Amino acid sequence: MCGIVGFLDKTKNEKSKIGQIILKMLMALGRRGPDSAGVALYGNRCNGDMVLRIKLGEKGNFEGKGDAIAEQVQALGTVDEATTTAEYLRLVMNYQEDVRDLEHFIESVDEDIEVVSMGRNLEIVKQVGSPQNLDTTYSIKQFVGTHGIGHTRLSTESAVDLSHSQPFWAHGCPDLAIVHNGHITNYHKMRRCYEQRGIKFYTENDSEIIGVYLAEQFSKGLTLQEGLDASLIDLDGSFSYLAATPDAIGFAKDPFAFKPLLFTETDDFVAVATEEIAICSAFEGVYKVREAQAKEVRIWQR
Amino acid sequence: MAEVICDDRATREINAEIKRRIAQGETELLIKTPNARHNLGVAILQPAHITFDGSVGYYCAGMIDGPTVEIKGSAGWGLAESMMDGSVIVEGSAGNGAAASIRGGTVVIHGDAAARLGVSMKGGLILVGGNCGYMAGFMGQKGTLIVCGNAGEAFADSMYEAVCFVGGKIAELGNDAVIEKPTADELTFLESTLSRYLPQKIDAIQNFKKIISGRKLWNFDKKERAIWREAL
Repeated sequence: MCGIVGFLDKTKNEKSKIGQIILKMLMALGRRGPDSAGVALYGNRCNGDMVLRIKLGEKGNFEGKGDAIAEQVQALGTVDEATTTAEYLRLVMNYQEDVRDLEHFIESVDEDIEVVSMGRNLEIVKQVGSPQNLDTTYSIKQFVGTHGIGHTRLSTESAVDLSHSQPFWAHGCPDLAIVHNGHITNYHKMRRCYEQRGIKFYTENDSEIIGVYLAEQFSKGLTLQEGLDASLIDLDGSFSYLAATPDAIGFAKDPFAFKPLLFTETDDFVAVATEEIAICSAFEGVYKVREAQAKEVRIWQR
Repeated sequence: MAEVICDDRATREINAEIKRRIAQGETELLIKTPNARHNLGVAILQPAHITFDGSVGYYCAGMIDGPTVEIKGSAGWGLAESMMDGSVIVEGSAGNGAAASIRGGTVVIHGDAAARLGVSMKGGLILVGGNCGYMAGFMGQKGTLIVCGNAGEAFADSMYEAVCFVGGKIAELGNDAVIEKPTADELTFLESTLSRYLPQKIDAIQNFKKIISGRKLWNFDKKERAIWREAL
């Protein structure tokens, strides 16, 4: 059992209070997943610069480590901002080259280091604990932007730590993030194929494969809609998952409708959640909500 | 009409109050601020009229025997599961497993129903104004399932004696499901049922198809292994 949520502002507003909205929705689903919580928020906050959220370690004081990375990374591009908060270093830098090079460079500094998210619009924050803690540590309520997705996790098969939490950024593919509720049962088989091709996995969490899979579809030239459609055939098991890009969110539900996911849509916004309680908590007023059907795929573009 | 406020109260407390009010002789109850919470209004065994002033979460009105439950919003998974008698009317849509395993009574969903609608129903009447999802009617033993819109895949799979009617398209029939033309009596039944519960859908009446079991899976015969290989 996990809780997933998504929100997209359909208007021209680029300063929607998405941090606050996603947090409210997640808090309503907190009991579906008390292990960890995370958000992937999208907005153009850095004028087209690359924003990186880098995990410095699982626990401890990482101030010095953060400074060291910020210093070293100057070799690849101008760093405009570098702040260390709890386990994360947030970097804003002018970088136009291949994101994989930057990622490898940073991750080679120390083995605990992981680039949690990278993109011109996307920022991921996740940690062990409740959604409320996420705001206490990282003030995500303050985040304004266009859309976002979130996750509360009840771990069933893999470790409970920051790296295994969701959302997952699709490493190497800027701005692509996913949240997943369910089990991908052909995970090990797919992972072996990807690893033979040199793709690195950061966790033992089966959900990580969805990001890897979608990134692969994008690299073949598929759109988000096409990628989600294809996943219904290629992924086995139970899943309701959300994927987000700089200008869209979308979901896919497995052919047996094992996992819940429902949504509401108005002229102004779209909200998607595991349970309606999340929508009732985050939005005042009455909204028509519908559970997604088996094999249903939908995307909303800004 | 007596009011029961949910707000932040414990679910058990809310359900106990609903039962207590009915025991005290209230016949009409308005449940305020249900906020899509789970397990509301379960196991009510008296004929009262209970209105939920908004959406409800999972397992609402499960195991009821007698009351009329109206939901002014949508319902989550397992609506009216295993109900014995009474009515459940949902203004909006319902999640997976609505009216699963009911033995009697009536469930009306004005919007859409998600997957596994009315699985293993053993009696009663289910009406859906919109569409229904994957595997509706699976193993239905008795009772009637009416869908005014479209039906999803594996519709009416492995049924016994339940009878289904679909006004729209059927994405794919389940194992051993066969389509028949409704009889004149059945059309009269559909007309009276729709005009009572979903009068706005009455125009769909001439398009209704009837789906029943082909009875090929009722008894095992090893000569028919091919059918079983397909069905299992």
